[in-house]
Amino acid sequence: MTRALPESRAGRVVLEARGITKRFGSVVANDRIDLTVRAGELHAILGENGAGKTTLMRILFGELQPDEGEIYLDGQRVRFRSPRDALRHGIGMVHQERKLIPAHTALENIVLGHPRTKAILDLREAEREIEALCARYGFRIPLHAKVWQLSEGEKQIVEIVKELYHGARILILDEPTSVLSPPEIVKLLESLTKMAKEDFAVIPFITHKLPVVLEYCDRVTILRRGRVVAEMETRHATEQTLAAAMVGRDVVLQVERVEVPVGEPVVRVSDLWVRDDRGLFAVQGLSFEVRAGEILGLAGVAGNGQEPLAEALAGLRPVERGSILLDGVDITHAPVLERWRRGLGYVPTERREVGSIPSFSLVDNVLLNYHFEPEFSRWGVLATGRARELTERIIAEYSVVAAGPEALAKSLSGGNLQKVILGRVLSRHPRFLIACLPTHGLDVGAAEFVQRKLLDAKRAGTAVLLISEDLDEILALSDRIAAIYEGQFTGVVPASEATKELIGELMAGLRRERV
Amino acid sequence: MSNLLIISLAAAAVFAIAALGELLEQRAGILNVGLEGVMLLSGTFGFIAAKTSGSYLEGFLVALLTGALVGLLHGFFSITLGSNQVVNGMAIWILGFGLTTYIGYPYTGPLGLQPFPTIAGFPVFFLVALVLAASLWFLLYKTHLGLKLRSVGENPSVAEASGVSVTAMRYLAVVLAGALVGLGGAVYSLVYNPVWSYNYLQGWGFIALALVFFSLWNPFLIVAGAVFFGFLWQLSLYPELLFPNVFSRYIWRAMPFLITIVVFVILSTRWFRLRWGATKPEALGVPYQRES
Repeated sequence: MTRALPESRAGRVVLEARGITKRFGSVVANDRIDLTVRAGELHAILGENGAGKTTLMRILFGELQPDEGEIYLDGQRVRFRSPRDALRHGIGMVHQERKLIPAHTALENIVLGHPRTKAILDLREAEREIEALCARYGFRIPLHAKVWQLSEGEKQIVEIVKELYHGARILILDEPTSVLSPPEIVKLLESLTKMAKEDFAVIPFITHKLPVVLEYCDRVTILRRGRVVAEMETRHATEQTLAAAMVGRDVVLQVERVEVPVGEPVVRVSDLWVRDDRGLFAVQGLSFEVRAGEILGLAGVAGNGQEPLAEALAGLRPVERGSILLDGVDITHAPVLERWRRGLGYVPTERREVGSIPSFSLVDNVLLNYHFEPEFSRWGVLATGRARELTERIIAEYSVVAAGPEALAKSLSGGNLQKVILGRVLSRHPRFLIACLPTHGLDVGAAEFVQRKLLDAKRAGTAVLLISEDLDEILALSDRIAAIYEGQFTGVVPASEATKELIGELMAGLRRERV
Repeated sequence: MSNLLIISLAAAAVFAIAALGELLEQRAGILNVGLEGVMLLSGTFGFIAAKTSGSYLEGFLVALLTGALVGLLHGFFSITLGSNQVVNGMAIWILGFGLTTYIGYPYTGPLGLQPFPTIAGFPVFFLVALVLAASLWFLLYKTHLGLKLRSVGENPSVAEASGVSVTAMRYLAVVLAGALVGLGGAVYSLVYNPVWSYNYLQGWGFIALALVFFSLWNPFLIVAGAVFFGFLWQLSLYPELLFPNVFSRYIWRAMPFLITIVVFVILSTRWFRLRWGATKPEALGVPYQRES
C-alpha cells in the first residue's frame, strides 16, 4: 500500500478537485468543478440527470481524464490513468450496475485481483480478514454463497467490502440507495457513517433521495448543468433549498393526486403465479383488481416480482397459474397483439431496449404501437403520412425536445424518449395502462410532466397500474397502494391510510397487513 | 473383454487430454471448435518429427509446440482482432485437414519405432490424463491464477476492473490449451494408432470437443466421460463383442454426440439451472474489447 495512515485525519482535506473541466464534443459536461472532501465525512454529490455527476465520478476514479483541472490527494497532485490506479491511491468505486461475477462466490469476487492474494489461494485467511471487516462495520453477507443467489442489497455490500479489502479509504458510491428498501437504507447509511468516523471519506452520488442527504450526510455539493451551484453543510439545508438549487427554480416537489369517481373494475387478476428467468416463482399467487379511473401503486424494492408481474400482464412472460381478466375477457394466455387490441397499454422499464428501437426514427417507433391498426396499414402498406402526423402531435402535446419526427430515438434524452413512449401509448386511450418506473432516471421537470400525464389518463377513465421504486411518487399518485415483497403482497392500503413508514415496513417484509 | 477395457482407456487418454486443453481455454472464455484441426496438425508434425529423428521425445515436443502455435494463431484472431471464434475454429479445422493431407502424404504408413512402452499393458497416457485433470482442477479452483482465468471467462469487464489483464489471461489460456490439445493429437498418432494416413483422426477432435460440454466444464468428469466415450468408440469398431447384431457400428459411433445433445437438453432445463446454477462460462465465445 502506498498510503500510510496518519493517526487521525478527521476534518482534514483528503480529496480536492480544482477546476475540473471535461468536454465531449461541443458539450461541456463538467465546467470548472471544485470539490473538497474531508476525512470523516459523508459528502453527497447531488444533481439531476445530465448535471455532470457521472462525468465527475468517472474522473474521480480514473475512468476519464479531465481536459483541465487537477486532483489532489492529501495535498499531493495525482493523475489516475485507470480505475486500478485510483484504487492504488485509495479511491474505491461502487457502481450502480454491479461489477461482480454471478457464477463465483462472494468471497472469490472480493479477493479477485487483490495484489496480496498469493498464487495458491488461501481463502481461509482472506475470509478471516473479510469477516473482521464486515463485523467492524456491521455488514452481513454470506461469503460462500454464489453471487447470483444474493439480493441486490447484498451484492452492493459485497462491492463495498471488496473496495475496502482492496485498500480504499475514499469510497465513491453511485446511487447507493436505489436498490434498497427503506430499512436497508437505514442500515447501509449507519454502516457508512461508522466508516466515516474511522476517517474514511464517503462520497455518495444521489439524484432523488433528498431526505437521505439531509439525515445522514454532513456536507453536500450540488451540480447543475456541469457546474457547482452550491456547497453547504446539510444542517443548514432543507429539502426545498436542495431541490431548488438542483433544478434552478422553485419546484412543486410532488404533483397532487386528483379525485375522480372510480368506475367498474377493468382488470381482475386472481391467484397469479409467474416464474422469473431463473425459473423461480417471482410472482406468488397475486390477486387484485384495478378500476376505471384508479391508479393502483405497486410499491416494492427492485427485484421483488414487479418486473415479472408487469411482463405477464403485458403478455411477454407465460403465466403458470391463475388468470387475468380484461373487461371480463380472459387474456391470461392471449398473445400480445390481442391484448393491445383489447385496450392494454404498456410502458416498460427498459426504455431503450423494450420501449423503443434506438436506431429507428420516432415515426417508426410510434408505428410499433399502431402498425396493426387498419388505419395505419392497408394491405401491408404503411400509412406513413398518418404516422408522421401522429408523431408530430405527440411531439407537440408532450413538449418533446427532438429534431423532428424523423429524429432517431437514440438521439433523444431519456426524459424526451419517455415522453414519446408515453404519448404513443396514451394516444391509444388504453383501458388499462401498466407503467413501469415511468419517471426512473428522469430529471425533476420531465418526471413531473410524466406524472401529470398519468393523472390525465386516470381522469379519462384509464385503469393504471403504477410500478415504481420511488415511494414518494407512489404515495403522491396512487389511490390504493399495494406493497410487494418476494412476490407476494404484504399489504394493500388505501391512500388515505398510507404513510411512508407503513409502506416502507411492508416493502421490507417486516410486517404484513391483512390483504 | 479386459482387452476391450484397456484399449478403451488408451482411447480415453486421447479424448481426455485434448478435452482438458479445450476446457482450460473455454474457462477463460475462448471457444475453439477446430480441435480436430489442431490435433491433426500437431499429430502429423509430431509423427513426422518422430519418424525422421527416431525419437519419441522429439515427436512429442514438436506436437506440443505445434499445438501452442496454432493456439496462438486462434488467440490472435479471437483475442486481438476479436473475430468470430466459431468461424476461426472452422478455419483451423479446414486448414489442418488440408495442410496435413498435403504435407503428411509422403509419410503415409507406420511410424516404425518400437511401440510406446506401457505399464504391464496399461496405457501410460491414461495416468497422465488423470494427473493433468487433477492439476487443472487445482489450477482453476485453488490458485489466484485460476480465479483470474475463470473470471475472464465469466465477465471480462469485471475482471479488467479488478486489475486482471483479460488479454494476457486469454493468451496464456490459448497457448497452454493449444499445447495440451497438441499433446492429445500426438498421443493418438504416436501411441494409440501410430500409422499415418490421410484424415487418420476420423473426428476424434470433435468427440473431445463434445466431451467438454458433456462434462459440464469439470476436469474429473472429462476423464470419466472420456472413458465412457472411448468405450463406445471401441464398441463401434467391434460391436459383435458385446452386443452382436444390436445397431450398426455407425450408430455406436454417433453415440457420443447423441449423448452430448441429451446432456445439453438437460443442462438447459429450468430444473437443472435451479439445482446447479450456471455451469457454462458466461462469456464463452464473446470477444472482449477494452474501452478506451
